[in-house]
Amino acid sequence: MGLVARALEMEGVATVVVAWNGGRIRLVNPPRALITKLGRGLVFGQPGDTAQQRRVLESTLTLLTQDAPLDPVYLEES
Amino acid sequence: MEILENKKAWRETYQQNWLAHLEEAGEVDWSLYQHPRNEQVPGAPGVDLHQSRLLLISSAGAYLKDQQEPFDAASRTGDYTMRTFPTATSWTDLAYAHGHYDHTMIEQDAQVALPLRHLQAWAANGRLGQIAPSVISFMGYQPDSARVVDELVPQVLVAARDLNAEAALLAPV
Repeated sequence: MGLVARALEMEGVATVVVAWNGGRIRLVNPPRALITKLGRGLVFGQPGDTAQQRRVLESTLTLLTQDAPLDPVYLEES
Repeated sequence: MEILENKKAWRETYQQNWLAHLEEAGEVDWSLYQHPRNEQVPGAPGVDLHQSRLLLISSAGAYLKDQQEPFDAASRTGDYTMRTFPTATSWTDLAYAHGHYDHTMIEQDAQVALPLRHLQAWAANGRLGQIAPSVISFMGYQPDSARVVDELVPQVLVAARDLNAEAALLAPV
């Protein structure tokens, strides 16, 4: 997914990746990334926890307002 | 700037190690896998979310179960094809073809990976300009990063252009 983000960004589309697997995503250097402690299959939060899903989403989309490249941002959501 | 730096060398390493072992021994050995790496980082300006059209890209393997072929979830060398489905699709019209995560949670609540109703609420109250009318979907088990660049990325770029995306939210599962 980080490679797709890089390709879009090079075409002028601002991108942000939200990743539970921070170690792997960092290696490919996407322009903007938010890294959580949620597990595989849980990108935005736990099932039914709309408050958590909205928090992760808001933190992720906020990065789109900033010029890239950015250092990865870590979010204490699990 | 390259999407994948040293792609040729990466491909050779992948083919000579991980893929060769799979073909010869019939098993996957991740100790032979070299994760792709980049040094440089591309950067475009940030966007005003209130004015922007946002595209959701998911690697959850979602597809329209009555209209589209599922992704090849059983493939050990990955699936590099792409589907799109309308943002307004009912959850009950989706299925997930991806053999590398537990589907229990996404089937219980699709917004764990596809936050479309949250995004629609944001668009309705003006916090977000628009959501692109379709979601780009693929199956994230794609060990061949050179094929991602050569096969998947061109499909995504065409679709993103057709959807007039100004920003993209990428959600790997």
